[in-house]
Formats: sequence, structure tokens, C-alpha cells
Amino acid sequence: MSAFFIVLASTLVGTVLSCVLACLPGLHVYNIMGLLVMFIYLLADYQIILPPEAYLPFMAGMIVGWSMLNTIPAVLLGAPDESAIFTVLPGQKYLMFGRGFEGTMITGVGGLAGLFILIFIIAPLAPILLPLLQSVLRPYMGAIIWVIITFILMSEWPKGGNTGPAGFAKFFDAWKSLAAGLLTFLLAGFMGFILLYRSPISTEMAFQNIMPAFVGLFAIPWCLLNILSAAEVPEQHIADSLDVDAATILRSAASGGLGGSFAAFFPVVTGGVGGLLAGHATAQRDERVFIMSQGVSKLIYYTGAFMFFFVPGLGLTRGGGAWIMKSLYTPQTSYDYLMILGAIAIAGGVSYLMMEPLTRGVIVLIRKFNYRYISLIALGIIMLLVFLVTSWVGLFIMLVGTGIGLLPVLFASRRLNCLGILLLPIACNMSGFGPTIAAWLHLV
Amino acid sequence: MKGIAHFASGVAAATFFPWTLAAAQEGNPLYFILGGAFGILPDTLDFKFYRFFYKHDIYIEPVPNETTPQDIADRIAAGVALAMDREKMVRIKLSTIRLGADYWQQYTVKFDAEKQQVMVKFGPVVNTGQVPVPGTEPEKGAVGRAALPCPLHITYDASSNVDIFDGPTFGFKKDNQNGMTFHFLPWHREWSHALTMGVFFSLLLLPFLGWRAALVIVAAYSAHVLEDQLGFMGSNLFFPFTKSRAQGVHIMRSGDSLPNFTTVWLSCLLMFWNMYRFQAAPLHAIGFFQIIFWGGILPVGFFWLVMKWLTRNSKTAGHETIDTSEWEESVSV
Repeated sequence: MSAFFIVLASTLVGTVLSCVLACLPGLHVYNIMGLLVMFIYLLADYQIILPPEAYLPFMAGMIVGWSMLNTIPAVLLGAPDESAIFTVLPGQKYLMFGRGFEGTMITGVGGLAGLFILIFIIAPLAPILLPLLQSVLRPYMGAIIWVIITFILMSEWPKGGNTGPAGFAKFFDAWKSLAAGLLTFLLAGFMGFILLYRSPISTEMAFQNIMPAFVGLFAIPWCLLNILSAAEVPEQHIADSLDVDAATILRSAASGGLGGSFAAFFPVVTGGVGGLLAGHATAQRDERVFIMSQGVSKLIYYTGAFMFFFVPGLGLTRGGGAWIMKSLYTPQTSYDYLMILGAIAIAGGVSYLMMEPLTRGVIVLIRKFNYRYISLIALGIIMLLVFLVTSWVGLFIMLVGTGIGLLPVLFASRRLNCLGILLLPIACNMSGFGPTIAAWLHLV
Repeated sequence: MKGIAHFASGVAAATFFPWTLAAAQEGNPLYFILGGAFGILPDTLDFKFYRFFYKHDIYIEPVPNETTPQDIADRIAAGVALAMDREKMVRIKLSTIRLGADYWQQYTVKFDAEKQQVMVKFGPVVNTGQVPVPGTEPEKGAVGRAALPCPLHITYDASSNVDIFDGPTFGFKKDNQNGMTFHFLPWHREWSHALTMGVFFSLLLLPFLGWRAALVIVAAYSAHVLEDQLGFMGSNLFFPFTKSRAQGVHIMRSGDSLPNFTTVWLSCLLMFWNMYRFQAAPLHAIGFFQIIFWGGILPVGFFWLVMKWLTRNSKTAGHETIDTSEWEESVSV
């Protein structure tokens, strides 16, 4: 079979597989990619060597498909109850208005806009601009991460203290959520230090070191919230058209494009952080713009970070996908870059086409089965995956992460504070005082 | 301006000092952090601290489905009358009307200086994103009107929407022109938004952080105050030597997307330029105007033109305004 057909076939298989997997709540594509890399190594032990044309486009398809479609469970399987309404995303409000289909399709349009930006704007400019940015910004990466941390911590808004007479009662009411946010960040940061300096995960599974903690911080609280939620999901309306115009798409593309590109380029900065910064910077209020820009940002962050790995002569490794690939392959020429771009373009188109049938499918599923049971099954699958990859110790880490991850849920603070697990230890390390703090904590 | 715009300009201001960049290259992010933190600090002081301790003379807390627009208008007018008898400012707190977990009854308060009256009208129910809930827009809702006992001099917008979370504070103080001056959010941009406060904080931290940090603090804090002066509300620039806010220059509104984004983007370009020129041996040759043109004017200008074209038929394109033109035709109660 010619290289073209191998690339095409592996892209399509990777895309379709990840599109289906993306519908499972809490499952991350990097976990699956990690397992696939293990499988490729296993094959190599049996003298079965896969060509890069087989697994690189496959991985690209996996990332594109997942980043385009993982909004489906985020919107359709995340019904908030009354008490949690201030902490939920506009996508979930769409669900509660019976417009979940519209909400997911709007992010799909955002994903498509992100794909356009990536292929037609970022990809041609990346080999020219990224080396310049890299050479100028590299000495300041540590300081930039600290600046981002400062902004995350200082920009959270008090959610209480809106009524009643002036005084400390009002002040404390307002500061409950802010204090919980700070505590979450510090606890997550402390956990990050432990995992970085004295991880209980076995060395064979070191590349999945952070996975159980992430599952605990983000996925488990979400599943638990769904299971315990008192909300009933209303009948979902399948809209004939989307309530978006060209101006909305342009605003979303600008906001999400900036956030996603920022997150893809800078180390440790995730799509959520990029989205937060871009949302603030562009002063967006329209919920449609918010939802769509998340679609743009997510696609550019995940796919862009993976794509940057293949930019000729750059040597930039950002995001879990690129780090997993680094253990398997070192990009060499522009052949790799062009192959990956082709795979991304095809995967983007295919995954967008799969968005509508899969969204309809999940809507049928939640109509037939209570979404709490679906969340329960998802919880079981995630826990099983954590156990298979990291054993009992991983489950313990996950449990600790869940405790921290529930804080923002209970106190209506930002969930983004959980990213202290990455931001704090890595910022300390980049500034050179990480080992000193680890020594204070008796971790080294 | 939005927090991120002040934050970014604070960091940008810090990068103009060579010691900021030199320290960051050696792993010390202190000056970067100080730039951002003191860039956003004036708003942090107001919105996360001061406003919770600010005492009001009158609290208007409308009861859902009970309080009418006329009730609110009457109480505001009563507050203005109270201010006639006092030397000190009368502060009126308007609370929001929460209808459910994510629903708020929006209402608009408008002061008509010409007719010497205050008008209140209920608008649609909005969600926490301030987006109207479909089907709740009143067609020709009742307008509450109350006559004011004296001429009113308005220093900010004559109309204010009250909808989500915390409602606004109105201040009324007798002026020298036999009338009353209206102050919007009198607790905001008071002492916290003074250039002198930047100096105060820098002197406070001077013994602990040194003169370099003190200069960064003054620069970042001043950047915030001066940026805010571009808007409508203005700031009390030299507190405690000045007692009231100096009028802003009315170039932009704090919530407008384009000025906020332009500030953030320009700050990023300035940071980049400072980092670039601080390199010992730059690998690439670029100039300041190249960065500004290719990185700023071209993309932002292109975006602005396309947006202008796409929203050419939209009434509110550009910035958020409160349209009260149809109120005159509404039925009074």
C-alpha cells in the first residue's frame, strides 16, 4: 500500500475511534495515546515495527477528533442542579434550556473555525514566527508562568456579599469562594510537588504520573456531581439551524484563537487557562461567543501543541500528546510536518461531520437512560482505567485529587485553581527554587 | 478597563526597567509579578475589599413581583431630597432582584437632568451572563417617575442597568450651583485610584523589596490610574490632596471589547519588544515599528474593519449603551 493510503487510512481510523471515545465523559485522549504507545512498544518486542506513516497520522486523528468532540459529554452529560448554577458553563445552561444539541454544534463550528486558523494561518507562519518567539521568550518562560499564576489568583471575582449592611459579615460572605479558590490552588500545588519529587507511581508508568491526579481533580467531581445532582434534564430540541452569525464566528475565532495559540505555545498553560485569558482580554459576554470560542481554543490548544512538535527545526514539545510522541519518534524533515498537517485537515473535516450524528446519538441515549446511570458507568470506566494503568496507588492519588477537586464545586470557586498541580511546581522549578521548596517539604 | 488590560499594562510597564528582565533571566520573577499585581491592585482594593465596608444611607432592596418601578423611583427621589438637607453625600444602594438560581429581573434607572426627574423601568429577565431570557422582554412596561427637588448635575451616564450580583451605589451631594451632583459608584476610583497611592505603596514596600521594586510598583499602579482616566468616570488622582474624582476624558467605556483587547495586545507587543532588545545577541533583526505594524496595526485593524462591516446594521455595535429613547412613549404609573 502506498504511503498516501496508509496515512489516509490511519488518519480516518484514529479520528473515528477518538470521536467515539470522546463521547465518554472523563476519558482523556492522552490516556488512550499513552496506552497505544505502550502497545507499539509491545509490538516492537515481537519484531513488529510500525512505520511512522501508520501511527503519526493515527495519533493526529485521535487528538483532532477528541478535541473537536469532547464537548458532547461536557454539554450533554453535565446537568447542574440549582446550587451549582454559578459554577457551570454556558454550555450546560444550553442543556437546561433543552438546547444541548445547539450548544454542542456551536462548539463544533468553533472547532471548524479553529481548524481553519490552524491550517491556513498558524501552520504557514509557524516555521517563520515560532523560532523568533522561542528565541526571545525562552529566558522568560518562568516569569511568564508566574505572571499567569498571579492573574489567575487575582482575577477571581467574589460571588457573595451582594446584599445586607456593610461590614465584616458581608466581607466574609464574599471571600468564602475566593479563599476556597486560593486553598484549592495551594493544595493542588502541594500535591503537584509530591507527584513531581516523590511520586508513588511506578517508573514504568511514569509517563502517566499525573493522570490519576487529573482524573481526581476534574473528572471524578464532575461524575459525582452528575450522580448526586437533583436536576432533571429537559427534553432536548434538535434545532434546524444555529443562532450564530458571521460576527459571532469572527469574535469567537479571534478570542478562542488567541487563547488556544497562547496555551499551545507556552509550557504548562492549558486550554482552560488560555481560554480564560482570551475571554478576559476580548471582554466577551455573549454566551454563544463563549461556547464557540471554547471550541476554537480547545482545538487549537490540543492540535496546535501537537502540530508544533513537527515544525521543522523548532524542537518544541508542548502538551501531553507531543510528550507522549517524543518517547516514540523524533520529527526530522518538513515531510513529517506536511503529513501531520494533511492528517489534521482530514481529521478535522471528518470529526466535524461526525459531530451531528454522535450528538444525536448521545441525546437519544440520555432520553432512554437516566444520565446519572451514564455518569455512574463513566465513573466506573475511568476508575478501571486508572487502576489498570497505575494500580491501587493511582486510585489513592485519584481519591486525594477528588477531595481537592470538590472544593471549588462546594464553594463555587474556579475549577481552574486545580491547575495549581502543574503550575506551582513547574513555575518554582523554572525559577530554580523548586528543589529548595521540595527540601522544605522533606520530599528530597 | 477590564482587569486583564490593567494587569497586562502593569507587566508591560515593569519590562521597561532593565532589572526586571535581568532578574527574570536569572529565574527571579519578582518584578514581573509586582508589575501585574500592582497593575490590577486598584480595582482589587475597591471590588474585593472596600465595597463591602462602604456604608450607605438608603438601601433599596426590591422584592420580586411586589416592588414596582414607581416605588424605586420614589425612594431615589426621597434620597435626593434628604441630600438637600445635608452637607455630606447621601449614598443610595440599589440591590439586584434575584428571581431564581440563574435569573435576575433587570431594571433601568435613568436621571433626566432637563426635566428634573428620575425614571425607573423594569426590563427583561436576564441570566447571569446578562443575556435576556427569551420571552421575558416587556413590550411597553410601566415607567416609574418621580420629580427631583433640585437640578441635578450628572458626572457619569444618566442611565444605569441593575441586573446581576451586586447593584450600583448612587451618591448625591449638594454642589456650589444650587443643585445636586450625581456620583455613580462613589466608592469606586476614590482613594484607591490615586497616583499618590502608588507612591504610598512603593514607600511602604521600599524597606523590604528595595528601590527597584518601588519604581516598578509606581509605574504599574500609575498605568492603571491613567488608563482609567481615558474613560468616563475618572479617578481621584491625588488623594488625599484632592477630594473628588477628576472627570475622565471620555474616549472609551470600560467594558468595550476593542479598547480592552487593544490595550492587552499592545502591552504584549511592548513586553515582547523590551525582551527582544534586551537580548545579548539577537538571532533575528526586527525593529519596533515592524513589531507594532505587523503584530498590532495590521491584525487588529483588519479585525476592526471586518467587524465594523459585519455589524454595520447593528444599533449597539461598538459599545454597550442603554437605549431609553422609547421611554417617553411608555405609559406612566
